[in-house]
Amino acid sequence: MDKNTFLLEVGTEEMPATFVAGALHQWRSQISASLSDHFLTAESIEVYGTPRRLVVLVHGLPAQQPDRHEEIKGPSLQAAFTNGQPGKAAIGFAQKQGLGVEQLVTRLTDKGEFLFALKRTPGQPTSQLLSHLAYEWIMGLEGKRLMRWGDGDLKFSRPIRWLLALWQEQLLPITITNGTETMVSGLYSQGHRVLHPQPVEITHSSRYQSQLQSAFIQVNPLHRRHSIQEQVQAIARTVGGHAVIYPELLDEVTHLVEWPTAIIGAYDPEFLNLPPEVITTVMVTHQRYFPVLQGELGGELSAPIHGAPLLPYFITISNGDPAKSSLIAAGNERVIRARLADAQFFYQADTTHSLEEFLPKLEQVTFQDTLGSMGQKVGRIQEIAGCITRQLNLNAQQQQTILRTSLLCKADLVTQMVGEFPELQGVIGQNYALVSGESEEIACGIFEHYLPRNADDFLPQSLPGQVVGISDRLDTLVNIFGIGLLPSGSSDPFALRRAANAIINIIWSARLPLNLFTLLENTCIQFAAKGERQNPLPVLRDFFIQRVRNLLQDERSIDYDLVQAVLGDNDSTYTQLVLQDLLNGLDRALFLQTIRHNGTLGQIYPTVNRASRLAIHGDLPKEVLNPASIINPHLFLEPSEQGLYDALLQLLPITQSCQMDRDYQKLVAGLVAIAQPVSDFFDGPHSVLVMDENPDIRHNRLNLLAILRNHALILADFNCIVKDS
Amino acid sequence: MGVNYHGRILKVNHEERGVNFQSVIATLHQFWSDRGCLIAQPYDVEKGAGTKSPHTFLRAIGPEPWSVAYVEPCRRPGDGRYGQNPNRYQYYYQYQVFIKPSPPNIQDTYLDSLRALGIRPEDHDIRFVEDNWEDAAVGAWGVGWEVWLDGMEITQFTYFQQCGGLDCSPVSIEMTYGLERLTMYLQEVDGIAKIKWNDCLSYGDVHLQGEIEQSTYNFEASSPSLLFNLFNLYEQEATQLIQRQLVLPALDYVLKCSHGFNLLDARGVISVSERTRYIGRIRSLARQVAQLYFTQRESLEFPLCKLPIASQITG
Repeated sequence: MDKNTFLLEVGTEEMPATFVAGALHQWRSQISASLSDHFLTAESIEVYGTPRRLVVLVHGLPAQQPDRHEEIKGPSLQAAFTNGQPGKAAIGFAQKQGLGVEQLVTRLTDKGEFLFALKRTPGQPTSQLLSHLAYEWIMGLEGKRLMRWGDGDLKFSRPIRWLLALWQEQLLPITITNGTETMVSGLYSQGHRVLHPQPVEITHSSRYQSQLQSAFIQVNPLHRRHSIQEQVQAIARTVGGHAVIYPELLDEVTHLVEWPTAIIGAYDPEFLNLPPEVITTVMVTHQRYFPVLQGELGGELSAPIHGAPLLPYFITISNGDPAKSSLIAAGNERVIRARLADAQFFYQADTTHSLEEFLPKLEQVTFQDTLGSMGQKVGRIQEIAGCITRQLNLNAQQQQTILRTSLLCKADLVTQMVGEFPELQGVIGQNYALVSGESEEIACGIFEHYLPRNADDFLPQSLPGQVVGISDRLDTLVNIFGIGLLPSGSSDPFALRRAANAIINIIWSARLPLNLFTLLENTCIQFAAKGERQNPLPVLRDFFIQRVRNLLQDERSIDYDLVQAVLGDNDSTYTQLVLQDLLNGLDRALFLQTIRHNGTLGQIYPTVNRASRLAIHGDLPKEVLNPASIINPHLFLEPSEQGLYDALLQLLPITQSCQMDRDYQKLVAGLVAIAQPVSDFFDGPHSVLVMDENPDIRHNRLNLLAILRNHALILADFNCIVKDS
Repeated sequence: MGVNYHGRILKVNHEERGVNFQSVIATLHQFWSDRGCLIAQPYDVEKGAGTKSPHTFLRAIGPEPWSVAYVEPCRRPGDGRYGQNPNRYQYYYQYQVFIKPSPPNIQDTYLDSLRALGIRPEDHDIRFVEDNWEDAAVGAWGVGWEVWLDGMEITQFTYFQQCGGLDCSPVSIEMTYGLERLTMYLQEVDGIAKIKWNDCLSYGDVHLQGEIEQSTYNFEASSPSLLFNLFNLYEQEATQLIQRQLVLPALDYVLKCSHGFNLLDARGVISVSERTRYIGRIRSLARQVAQLYFTQRESLEFPLCKLPIASQITG
């Protein structure tokens, strides 16, 4: 069979980088599916794109869709014929299938003989199908903020301006109509806007890439990406430096150009006295430049040298004529000079004041509608930080540092620099704190209290950063919950889920022995005390429990049932223990996961689970661990009862010591040891029936089991654990 | 020919005379006039952007074709820097081109306008970088680009999707040139004040004192209580004008509300939450005016649809 190639190029006005990336991704997965829906298979599919075009090359397509044979079941032979004459049912069926009755055949099925229509659907020419499919591929692309243009109602990322569609060497007709404007496919592509303004006639799909290459279009984004990377590092070497190539920036600039040329430009070294983050933000966020650091890299793909200072150069990826690079560099130099001069202006204006002097201005910035100013928020952060320092038993100097950090943590919000570069909040605070003569620790804490800024970010490493970060988020959570603005579904405008996750992760990773529940309780009381407000504690507690659950499952990979076992089932007092001691909650979850893997859990599970399930019928409080205080040995009828009782007495000191030092291995060993007495109790020659008719005996036996359950509860609620298969 | 500040007629050799601020405007006027645009004059109510002129804001609504170009002075009180920041003024000029429906060759035509200004795209790195635009206060949004000339944003390009809360059909294209930036680039000067307005006077000669005084007014001298009162009065007036179905007078008062709000905002007397409410009040008025305009044009049977006006721009 002939194998043919289909080439489709959709020419547009400049599409956003993210749309191009998304569209290529969609085409990669959807085109082969669309073909197979139509009984076509391609040998390979190549997908390319630039800001002005989306391209697909489908190789190895048959000239013709295969014929398809179908057998369609009709009426039973019995119903179809009367006296050998076709009846209504037979004639109707034949008509519906577009056949004469004589063309129908008889087939034996397990329900008797039936009439069948044998239908052959002839395959259509592939080119004919592609005319329709290509339209669907184009208009089926999804993206954010699609637009209409001209006087039509079509929606696409940016206006479609030309279509190139080639089936081998033939034009494949595709028509797209938008209002009064009709775009018909042709044999022409467009070259680079200025380097090759003439249309390019594509004579064969196999020559498409090379012909566009000659028209200064590199259609393959991977080649562009690679070329940019190489050029950027090569040009950085010319000034004895190396470029910082942020992957997101590289992805973006790859889709901003059709013919990349790296150009290096310089800026006045006097700007290097600005905080380096300001310079890189100007370069990366505002100008899509690559910053240059001092020192040459070992290899092309090595990571940037840690701590290397900035060199007064930038690298831009131009889409212009490589021969005009020096003119283009000069233009870019003027732009960055103006931008850095702006930043310099803000820096000088800001640093005539100390960071503390900005505080009064925070009173004019609203935190939220009914929740007062940022100034008031800072006051609340300080209070919460105070509670935390007391819980942590910090010394006076540490307390002092943390209180000062809380006081200054938001001051940079009202500086001109953060007004201009909001993404630099915290970074500027840190810098200005140092300029104002604050200690390194305080400056670092100001920066770190915003960490983590996103899911992949670092956690704060310094104690002030940790404590103030927790306090700030706790204040936000309590207050926003307090006025009823709970997150719902995908809507979480105040990023409250992220805030709660951050609190939990900071506590876990820094291993802060904090009672989060008490902190929440105190903060909620403070909140409710101001005016007639509802105390958000119950909702907030459930919210935090849910966060703990998610973090344990998603980030710590703890099995669902083990997380449930740590949190307990329908017992809020038990569940709350996790908030009172988050570290213990995490340790128990991790430990359970470990013993599930090494098999120990399987050993103790039947013992504890059996006891726990029966214990539900009793009424023993969950904190009772000592059998001597509650069990009456005079009620024992069988030695197995005495045996279990003795075993529980032996377990008591082990469990109590485990409560102190959290060495759950000991407890588990104890539970392994008690397996035999429990087994004797239930199944041995001297076993007992727990649900005895005598209520006192029954109660006594249930209590024995409940005490065992209570010991296990120190680790987990075994009722929630799903038996290992 | 030019006039120096003593009023003496000077003979100017056009070949040698460099580009200046007014010649940039003249060139753009000529360019867009040649391509069928109505050359309109600035609108005499304070506004933050050329989009708010009725030539754009109202004409974007409904099916009638429209092509216009004009200079629009813009006031953004919060951007005042007392003339000390070389690149940021609270009063500046936009060159606005607005065409409905958006023509297919508009990018090429735009690049030709740069050629007319002496910027050969062949010599530069010109990029159309995604930039979507939204003005919540007038219920308008569109998608488009900022045009980069060697890394400098010189024009904002927007396909209007909604205006005054109404879907735009057909879609208009708006191009807003930053006149100061363009001229600074062409004259190779590094500050707005240094722009040569004509052969003898600089931009600073014309506007620097204004920047200082208006910044002082915006940040220090304005009377918030008076401005709050004015806002309420303007809103009342807009409301009663809307009731009387007087579109243009109503729009004037919506613009006054908008500018009044900007002044209050610059003064730092509007909290974040109040901000949202004020914007909501302005948007509600703007939507009513937009709807009113549409109804009015509809009852007039969209007269411009019947005119053979030059709406198709040719490159």
